[in-house]
Amino acid sequence: MPTEPTTAAAAPVDRVPVRYMTIVAQDPSVRRDGRILTARVAVPAEDLRAGPVGYRVQLVDYDASTRRFHGAHQLPARYEEEPSAWRTGSPAIVGDFRFHAQNVYALVMITLARFEFALGRRIGWSFETHQLKVAPHGMRDANAFYSPVQEGLVFGYFDGRSGPVYTALSHDIVVHETTHALLDALRPRYMIPSNPDQAAFHEALGDIVALLSVFSLPELVAHVMAPAASAAAPAVKTIARSQCTPEALRQNALFGLAAQMGQEVSGVRGEALRKSARLDPSRRILDTPEFREAHRRGEVFVAAVLRAFIEAWSDRILSSGLNDQRAFPLARVAEEGADIADALATLWIRSIDYMPPVHLTFSDALTAALTSDTRVRPDDSRFALRRHLKRSFAQYGIAPVATAADNDCWSPPPANLAFDRIRFESLRTDKDEVFRFLWENQLPLKLRTDAFTRVSSVRPCVRVGPDGFFVRETVAEYYQVARLTPAELKAKQIVAPPALVAHLVQSGATRRRAAPAPAAFDPAPESGGLVADAAEAPESLLPALYGGGVLIFDEYGRLRFHVYNDVFGRRQSARLAYLWQEGLLRIRNGGAAYAAARLSTLHRLRAMDARKWPSEGW
Amino acid sequence: MVVMATRPGALEIRSFQVGFGDCFLLSFFYGTGNRRHVLIDFGSTGITERGKKAPDSLAKHMAKIAGAIKNVCGADGLAAVVATHRHADHINGFGTDSKSGKSGIVIRDLAPKVVLQPWTEDPGAAKDATTATRDSSRSLRSTASVVASLAAMNRIAEQVTKLAARPPAWMSLAVQKELMFLGMSNLANRSAIDNLIAMGRRSGSTAVWAHHGSKSGLERLLPGVTVRVLGPPNLKQTDAIRKMRSRDPDEFWQLLAGTAAARDGRGVADLSAARGGGPPVPAGARWFRDRLDRLTGEQLLEIVRTLDQQMNNTSVILLFEVFGRKLLFPGDAQIENWSYALEDAPDAAATRKLLADVDVYKVGHHGSLNATPRKALWEKFSRRKNAELHTMLSTMPGKHGHATSNTEVPRRTLLTALAAESRLQNTMDLGFGAKGKLCNVLRLVPGQSPKAWAEPE
Repeated sequence: MPTEPTTAAAAPVDRVPVRYMTIVAQDPSVRRDGRILTARVAVPAEDLRAGPVGYRVQLVDYDASTRRFHGAHQLPARYEEEPSAWRTGSPAIVGDFRFHAQNVYALVMITLARFEFALGRRIGWSFETHQLKVAPHGMRDANAFYSPVQEGLVFGYFDGRSGPVYTALSHDIVVHETTHALLDALRPRYMIPSNPDQAAFHEALGDIVALLSVFSLPELVAHVMAPAASAAAPAVKTIARSQCTPEALRQNALFGLAAQMGQEVSGVRGEALRKSARLDPSRRILDTPEFREAHRRGEVFVAAVLRAFIEAWSDRILSSGLNDQRAFPLARVAEEGADIADALATLWIRSIDYMPPVHLTFSDALTAALTSDTRVRPDDSRFALRRHLKRSFAQYGIAPVATAADNDCWSPPPANLAFDRIRFESLRTDKDEVFRFLWENQLPLKLRTDAFTRVSSVRPCVRVGPDGFFVRETVAEYYQVARLTPAELKAKQIVAPPALVAHLVQSGATRRRAAPAPAAFDPAPESGGLVADAAEAPESLLPALYGGGVLIFDEYGRLRFHVYNDVFGRRQSARLAYLWQEGLLRIRNGGAAYAAARLSTLHRLRAMDARKWPSEGW
Repeated sequence: MVVMATRPGALEIRSFQVGFGDCFLLSFFYGTGNRRHVLIDFGSTGITERGKKAPDSLAKHMAKIAGAIKNVCGADGLAAVVATHRHADHINGFGTDSKSGKSGIVIRDLAPKVVLQPWTEDPGAAKDATTATRDSSRSLRSTASVVASLAAMNRIAEQVTKLAARPPAWMSLAVQKELMFLGMSNLANRSAIDNLIAMGRRSGSTAVWAHHGSKSGLERLLPGVTVRVLGPPNLKQTDAIRKMRSRDPDEFWQLLAGTAAARDGRGVADLSAARGGGPPVPAGARWFRDRLDRLTGEQLLEIVRTLDQQMNNTSVILLFEVFGRKLLFPGDAQIENWSYALEDAPDAAATRKLLADVDVYKVGHHGSLNATPRKALWEKFSRRKNAELHTMLSTMPGKHGHATSNTEVPRRTLLTALAAESRLQNTMDLGFGAKGKLCNVLRLVPGQSPKAWAEPE
């Protein structure tokens, strides 16, 4: 007897490259003529099963609070088959879970596509499996978060003033959480506590990509700018020149959108747009205690990017057209804004490859952005994004790193590198070949020979420049890790906070007498010093020190950049002091381990605008 | 006729053995036969020591403590009762039902003339509680809405306790244990709350709802004693800080409470329901479904912890000054409550100066991680030098927090500092049962060194 097939019979599928889908432009509060403002987006097409389940995303509409499964949603096969309520933004879509499923799926996929386009390659998740799990109504909670342990995104819902509020219907929240997942895939060590900037950057990048993703929808920009427009002729709306200054655009676009965004849903993560838009520049702002909190510090970074966005947009409009042109078509103003938002989002995503894999600072991030953008887009004359970014960041006291080259990009690597024993083809894909390259060049690359080294990834990528030419690069990451005793730290001129050492001695004195003396360093062969690893090394007193770098090879196999942090460098003293002061080290079993970050907790603290006083605790 | 002295000639502070809870009796001596007693908190969430069987039920034990309080007060009765905040480990002894051994009846019969509580407990403020709890709009933010949030916490606690009593299969033991503890602490204690309200409404009694800088109502009862209220800040005071910040944290707090309580009233209870009510979960999605179930417990715990902390931060903080000595009673106030008095209030500098030479410190929140601000408070206590500072701690280990996450109560690093730098009286040393003692006593007399001892039953 023939066996029943376990999968559904293959249905004829349109083999088109993209699939158009309706999404909520921002959230259900942003309305035009009483209808929810929606947008049509192009999503990479794939064979999509009911769920929806695709090759990168598995949506599971299970609500753990009510313990109810809402079914596997079959999405319309094409845009034309969508219910008219979806396309017209009927308020009824707020209660349509099938639409919610499409909204989340489309936003996750276009964010993934945006990252893959910017970085010129496929991006795997931080976990071993291929599909990111997504729960669009995961639990009754005023929160939404990415959880690497759960391998997925969880979107909560809650009772609002006029009915249920679903975080899965907020464009910025879905993109923010997806960005967390993607950044974790690209830079897994950024989730491990290091310095105030690194903790803030995870939130900041989420906000930047989310807000610029919202602003890259011309429908939405035209909508928020509409109140500032006047009708020059029937069906032709224009924006007066006076409404295109940076201050006017800030008022009309940023605050205009912020005013319309759902008050309740924006409370979920603390009004990212409103807070960053009104953060006035100050060169000392990052030194103030308030902005040492990760969630507040991230707002400074976002404010600098939004400021650059507004300045570039204003410049672009005012410098176009005739010198004395008194008004500009609204459609064009909106399109320019959307284009700049898109270009800026791409710039920041692309910069991730040029960031050090550990101990990121805001200066590192800015330098990485300037470098990667210069590589792919040498001509900055169209939007002048680099010029605006440098100026805007300077106003918030953030400058490129001190060791940057004259053009504020990373300095080139040393010239005396040995390539004679390296196989060029293998270097593009093979971790062992890259490790050999490091092995042969330890001295010129200033690697520490007494630390454990591991190449964690080798990624060939092809980026497309605005001129249509390809930039082929290979990006390889490596880590160095070492565990030292206090005496060994001292010998390397790294200062551990005296109170930390005293604590360790006090809590571990008895056990250490029974245990063998710790080795000079513990190479941690598999994980190279992950959080759990540090916690499970009882003979180790101090937390592991990390270093490492990223190697950017060009299409000829030449090393173009080596961006790294020394495992025994001067940043380690400041890092240990920060971790200790902020209560991010746990002392147990006579050893110190890192307190792992949970994004759900961070989001809750952010929403409450909570302030921590780690130095006041015990 | 005996004329009462214009200031006390001695003071005795009793810290009763209530396990994990607080119960302090301050007795001011105004010459022969004239004493005024102030009871600060009376509650417990557990008297069972780890690995041991409790000699009495909690109800029986609380009745015994009430009897001891009555014995000390005698015919004087109580001048005042202070309930620092609503947690069970501070007020369930005021209950008049059988769960608390009717100990509250004994206290009520001692006829306190003042019943002092935080402003958040004002029953008049809760009249539109239901509406306000479920609405987080700025316009409705009011005393009522805050009070309503506390009430929501009580309702959540009820559901959480039921859930933890019959934990679903996916709930880990650690999550269950902490949910049960926090649930029990935050149960409504209706009987205790009603009794406190009734005591304040009795003829000849006054109910005082205190906030930072307000009158305590104790001055007229305690001649020669200055009592300052340092916390909690009221909404007007915290609003002054928030002008510099862009968001109102209360909104989110209320949102949390509303979310966990849920519109249909089921809320947490749903978590223990059997799966179902919808189509079957596809086989390929069950792994994630199970993970989500487990995650819900952790998220619930996070919400309950946050709300529990908010409740702690409604604690009344009192500073007594008597014959040149200062005594600080902060309830369970944590750093968020302290920060107003020590940093943000207009008189913060004067308060810091005032607290620098405190003589007796009731250790906040049973010795937890965040209730004795290390730099802003502890390190400023000048009497730590030469161990002239007296500290009183009422706690029981193994009930709250975890050593692995450095959240155990009492926190071992704080205990080390208390033992090394102060003269610590700890109820942990009193024990229970036949060999146990009833309370720690500290006697202060002008011009003499303080005397400390443990009093037998």
